Amino acid sequence: MSFTINATINDKKVSASTEASTSLLEFLRDTLEMKGTKLCCNTGECGACTIIFNGKPINSCVTLAADADGATITTIEGLADGANLHAVQQAFIDTGAVQCGYCTPGYIMSVAALLDRTAKPTAEDIEEAVSGNICRCTGYAKIVDAIHLAADRLSGRA
Amino acid sequence: MAKAEFTVVGSSPARIGGVERVVGKGVYGIDVMLKDQLHGGILRSQYAHAKIVSIDISEAKALLGVHAVVTAADAPDVRYGRSYIDRYILARHKVRFMGDPVAAVAAETPALVKQALKKIKVVYEPLPVVIDPEDAMRPEAPTLHEDMPLPKNLPDGVKVKNVCGFTAVHVGDPEKAMAEADVIVEEAYETKMIHPQYLEPRMTAAQVEPNGRLTVWANAQAPFPVRQEVAKTLGMPLNKVRVISAELGGGFGGKGSGITSGAAVEPICALLAMKAKRAVMIVLDKAEETISTTIRAGAKMYIKTGVKKDGTIVARTGKVIYDAGAYSGFGTQAGGRCTNMLGGWYLMPNCHIDGYVVYTNKQVCGPVRGPGGPQAAFAVESHMDSIATKLGMDPAEFRMKNMPKPGDKIVGVPKLRDVSLGETIRIAKEKIGWGKVKLEKNQGIGIATGSWIESAGPGGGAVVKINEDGSATVHIGKIDMGTIPGFGIPLIVAEELGIPVSDVTVVNVDTDASPWDAGTVGSRGILVSGTAARLAAIDARGQIFKMAASLLEASPDDLEIKDKQIRVKGTPAKSVALATVATNAHNIIGEVIGRGYCDNLALMAEEKAHGSSQPFTTHACIVEVDTDTGNVKILKYVAVHDIGFPIHRAAVEGQIEGAAAMSIGQALCEQVVFDKNGRTMNPSFVDYLMPTINMMPRIETTLVPGYPGAGPYGAKGAGEIACVPPLACIANAIYNATGVRIRKLPLSPENVLRSLKEA
Repeated sequence: MSFTINATINDKKVSASTEASTSLLEFLRDTLEMKGTKLCCNTGECGACTIIFNGKPINSCVTLAADADGATITTIEGLADGANLHAVQQAFIDTGAVQCGYCTPGYIMSVAALLDRTAKPTAEDIEEAVSGNICRCTGYAKIVDAIHLAADRLSGRA
Repeated sequence: MAKAEFTVVGSSPARIGGVERVVGKGVYGIDVMLKDQLHGGILRSQYAHAKIVSIDISEAKALLGVHAVVTAADAPDVRYGRSYIDRYILARHKVRFMGDPVAAVAAETPALVKQALKKIKVVYEPLPVVIDPEDAMRPEAPTLHEDMPLPKNLPDGVKVKNVCGFTAVHVGDPEKAMAEADVIVEEAYETKMIHPQYLEPRMTAAQVEPNGRLTVWANAQAPFPVRQEVAKTLGMPLNKVRVISAELGGGFGGKGSGITSGAAVEPICALLAMKAKRAVMIVLDKAEETISTTIRAGAKMYIKTGVKKDGTIVARTGKVIYDAGAYSGFGTQAGGRCTNMLGGWYLMPNCHIDGYVVYTNKQVCGPVRGPGGPQAAFAVESHMDSIATKLGMDPAEFRMKNMPKPGDKIVGVPKLRDVSLGETIRIAKEKIGWGKVKLEKNQGIGIATGSWIESAGPGGGAVVKINEDGSATVHIGKIDMGTIPGFGIPLIVAEELGIPVSDVTVVNVDTDASPWDAGTVGSRGILVSGTAARLAAIDARGQIFKMAASLLEASPDDLEIKDKQIRVKGTPAKSVALATVATNAHNIIGEVIGRGYCDNLALMAEEKAHGSSQPFTTHACIVEVDTDTGNVKILKYVAVHDIGFPIHRAAVEGQIEGAAAMSIGQALCEQVVFDKNGRTMNPSFVDYLMPTINMMPRIETTLVPGYPGAGPYGAKGAGEIACVPPLACIANAIYNATGVRIRKLPLSPENVLRSLKEA
């Protein structure tokens, strides 16, 4: 059974048809050809497909596209303000937190959502917010640096 | 070479390609979209060992929307392999592990692919399965490969079977020396199979071009070996096959061994595209990937060392049993490396180690990050602590006692030019607070060292083209998975050409245009492509100077290049823009094309004459063991490394931190688990535990200067060595905390708790 999804994605109204069994990740990547959100485990374990859905970070691979009808969604493609990168994006570049970069879009979305909630996250806040985002390249050291740098910049501390 | 001599090498500018990656515009293999592309899928064996009696594809073929179904009957009767040519792209006659590809389908939708795969009827005659490599060597074990001979170098009288690689290390007279030892320590260690679990799923897309050529898109670390093996297994000449690599979402060696890495997904996809006469793309799902692609093999290691009372090592003997899996894959090489490394990297006057690489009915061994090294170091560096304990010596002091000096040999290296090992131990002790830090109950401190011997390997080239505006386009054969194309190479080329780093573009590998390369493997990126790119940039600069000299009426030798201007040294007013010379080249030689090579023979001759400077490392950690649950928490972790001159410091630190993290994962939780029938029990990310941010300590990295290596500016490879020490480092800290020596990985809560109870 196919039906139409009307959603706001990255501040644009989107209308497209989908199947009942299609995941939101497939809808983004295959139907809308927005390849920035990454496919990895497809079981909600790695966080590579994280997007911000009605203000909250979610794994788009275990969310049905059907649930996106009427939703407001931000993906990695919509985080920057034109050519100006979001503070989290810039911090990932500046600290060397991007190696292969495959976990990066999902990571950045989780961190952006965290910093929306909490201007000055504690170590525990960070662990809780991104313990669902696996990075296999960095050993997390430079990602932690990036999160602190972005938090400091967003709150005017750096 | 002092750092001040350089403009950009040795600094840490933002990664080239960083902006694309943070805005979601990085194009990885799985983002490739071809026109009218079909979806492909692979039917895998449901038995770990069986004869194929028959395959019936008629029902699958008849489904509407299915465009191709292929089996071994559709491919040439040609096998592939590295040491042993023992494997078909699609199983013929027999299957040897549960991920073995048997048939493949191309169809309009992924759902239809799944449906068609279910309609393929394969009749199997199950055969006895062997999971443990030690069992597989016994005469009564089932035979996995009927027509594969035993290694020619096996010693006379050795009665073994299913062996596909043998390495022997012989130094001095270990029997005699062992008899004269004051103390002998004999132990057995075991590591388990882990999967590299890069995040980007393996993919291949293939299409036949109108002119009959085949184009393959693959997220492979070794595009040229993929091209060679695709051509071979499909019976095509090399100039009719083109392999294009996109950016890689991680590989860690798991995508590094030609078509072996992905169990031939590239030629299978190509076969589907040929038969369907449409473009086809295959993306493996993660559970399928875990059961079918290459892994870091498990090893059993027997180690016996004789020492004098004062701590001087006099002899070592040992045996390695290395699990190749169902085909030889990279097992022969990795097992050989493990065998050599069991001899350690200290003074070892007498040594005899035999290493057997053995077929079993499991996933195939690949060159996963430091192949053979973490396994050997788990045994060697745990064993060093066991000996120190028996001698009543401080473990660090015992290591210093057996430290090689410049001019000495270690196993696998004929002559060392210098030795940084002792300095890494000294710094690691200082950073961790060795002998000073106050440990609470159930806390322990551990140390372990490592090396990653850079030995002979394939060479490689680079091409640096200077565009009319003075920017540079660089072709090398290595891919970007967080490695040199985004970090070290742009710095090297910018340094030699006097242009900004942002003016350098390193092109993704395309076998039609890039120089041949063995692949982004073996920590050889900076040595091979770094050397070649530096020489290519210098060659380009020479051509520019020659043309500029006539414009400036000066000798080429008197010129320098800085900020995109060519100037006469000492007379800065006499200058010409690089862009002017590069544009003017159109009327002379067409284009400035610099070429450079890393000449492996020349490197070997240099090392033979003057000795080599190997990378060394020491890691140290403090752990806390929960004796009720068996959980191990790492409280502090330091990694001290000599990697020569760091061309891109942040990239080097990132490689060290990532490699250490991967082995910390293997130490604490990672393991591919099998049942007795050879079925993988934990294929998905739900069950395969990997380190998340909350279990990973801050890895505190220190780089030790002053030991230049064979690479450009004195660089050494940095991608793998940090994988070597963590397993023993953590095991040694657990011993220090609890008095219990755990010799079998992983150091997971259940295993630690069991070991504490049994002690």
